[in-house]
Amino acid sequence: MKARRLTLSQRRQLAGVVFALPALALVIGLIGVPIGQAVYYSFTQWDGITTTWIGPSTWSQAFHNSDLWTALKNNAALLIWVPVALGLPLAIAVLLHQRVAGWKIFRSIYFLPTAISWVVLGLVAERFFAYQGTLNSIIHAIGLSGVTTNMLGNESTALSALGITFVFTMIGTNTMLFLTGLATLDPSLEEAARIDGAGRWRIFRHITLPHLSRFIQLAFVMTVIALFSALFSLIFVMTGGGPGYATTTMEFLIYQTGFSQGQFGTAALYGLILFAITGVVGIVQLRLIGSDL
Amino acid sequence: MKTRRSVSPGRIALFVTMLAIAVAMLYPFWVMITDSLHTQSQFISGSGFSLGSWRQLSAALPVGRQVLNSTLICTVSIFVILAVGLPAGFAFAKLRFRASSLVFLGVVSAMMVPLQAIVMPEFVNITRIGLTSGYFGAVLVYAALGTPFSIFLFTTYFRGVPDELVEAGIVDGLGYVGALWRLVVPIAVPAIATVTVLQFIQIWDDLLVGLLFIQNTADRPITVGLAALASGRTTSIPQLMAGSFVSALPAMLVYLGFQRYLVKGLTMGIDR
Repeated sequence: MKARRLTLSQRRQLAGVVFALPALALVIGLIGVPIGQAVYYSFTQWDGITTTWIGPSTWSQAFHNSDLWTALKNNAALLIWVPVALGLPLAIAVLLHQRVAGWKIFRSIYFLPTAISWVVLGLVAERFFAYQGTLNSIIHAIGLSGVTTNMLGNESTALSALGITFVFTMIGTNTMLFLTGLATLDPSLEEAARIDGAGRWRIFRHITLPHLSRFIQLAFVMTVIALFSALFSLIFVMTGGGPGYATTTMEFLIYQTGFSQGQFGTAALYGLILFAITGVVGIVQLRLIGSDL
Repeated sequence: MKTRRSVSPGRIALFVTMLAIAVAMLYPFWVMITDSLHTQSQFISGSGFSLGSWRQLSAALPVGRQVLNSTLICTVSIFVILAVGLPAGFAFAKLRFRASSLVFLGVVSAMMVPLQAIVMPEFVNITRIGLTSGYFGAVLVYAALGTPFSIFLFTTYFRGVPDELVEAGIVDGLGYVGALWRLVVPIAVPAIATVTVLQFIQIWDDLLVGLLFIQNTADRPITVGLAALASGRTTSIPQLMAGSFVSALPAMLVYLGFQRYLVKGLTMGIDR
């Protein structure tokens, strides 16, 4: 009896390994192994075919490259849009949570852009910022007929245009997160506070916001990760990284270095730097969803 | 509970605000539709409407072929993700083996690896095994990128299934494959739907993988075709907007039909 139970447990374990194996092979082969390769290639001069070992000097050289610093600086500058990409959705979620007539339809509309490719949203944003685009129509309509903007064509404003587009693309997802958070809030808490004479702002500040803190943290992490690793489509169709290097972020620099300039080794190295940045943010995320692990 | 929808001024202001936000969120669709309803010359002069750009769309962008490509790539990738993710999630939740929680942690960590971080070696590897002609290189990459999240989702879901159910199935002689197929998969339909919808939208909307891992222009998915069309210098904007609308439509319909699964997937792991 005892021996049989043991084999049952062993059989279960064996089945577990066999069931997990195909997924593990896929993830190790296409995600794990390339990380190792990237580390190796980051120490080499590599054009995709021939590899020449250089050693750690590739890293010190990379950090002397102004392109890398420009890209990192652009990424850092884009971070100022993160609070907007959280604040607006938070406000929208609170509005939706009031459940005015037709709020479900509004919810569907607000989330609709979430389904659309950032390639498409980037193309639309280009129309918005264009010389004869919506932005200038609005500016002229409010009476500033002498002012004509060309945000994407201007080195000093292109990154802001990208940031605004990024905020728009994140609204749906973040609103969704916050609305889910609000739905888990016990209405009787707010009710009790109201009976105690607390005003709307106080209720929001002291009950709603603390309750949402986990959701805000998660949204923050997801937004920052998206900022570092999901702008490729927007940049590709809106600016191509330009004008100059004005909108070249880390992920776009990797693409350009590798695929336009053929410097595979340097691009692999840049990839690792990007990985280190998102890795730190990712660890925070793992801790946030940690209760499920 | 809430005051019965009395029409107070505050309520009206709220409604108007929400209407304004709705207008902003619908803006992309308005641009795509109105801009596409011109010929290039009408667009430049700013007057007149025509369906000309729609009629000539397929000459600039092989929409039919590319939508088919996108559909095939999405279908096969999602099939692979489900085929490897379901048993793995079952294993991590119910058939725990030695160090399985450590392995699970490793798989979940892979969720955090952005493709750009490993794109150079990935590209060379896939090219070397000759998979950049045809769809299969892209399918493999999409599957690998989508698998960690689906495993996370399935594992979390299966943990909610009572152990007794699975054990009873095993004792009844179903075997492990039978238990997975007959007992677990049927109750996992909502989780499967969540993964499918989320991955469909992700893969349909993606640019980078399709751009790099599919070398034949004829095999391009619609999102890549659109981006390539956009980078051409002589591209007609009305046609580009018409193409954008076509490429956005399938993902929009899937979203509208399966909204709650998408919401569930995006808020996974935190909504309780």
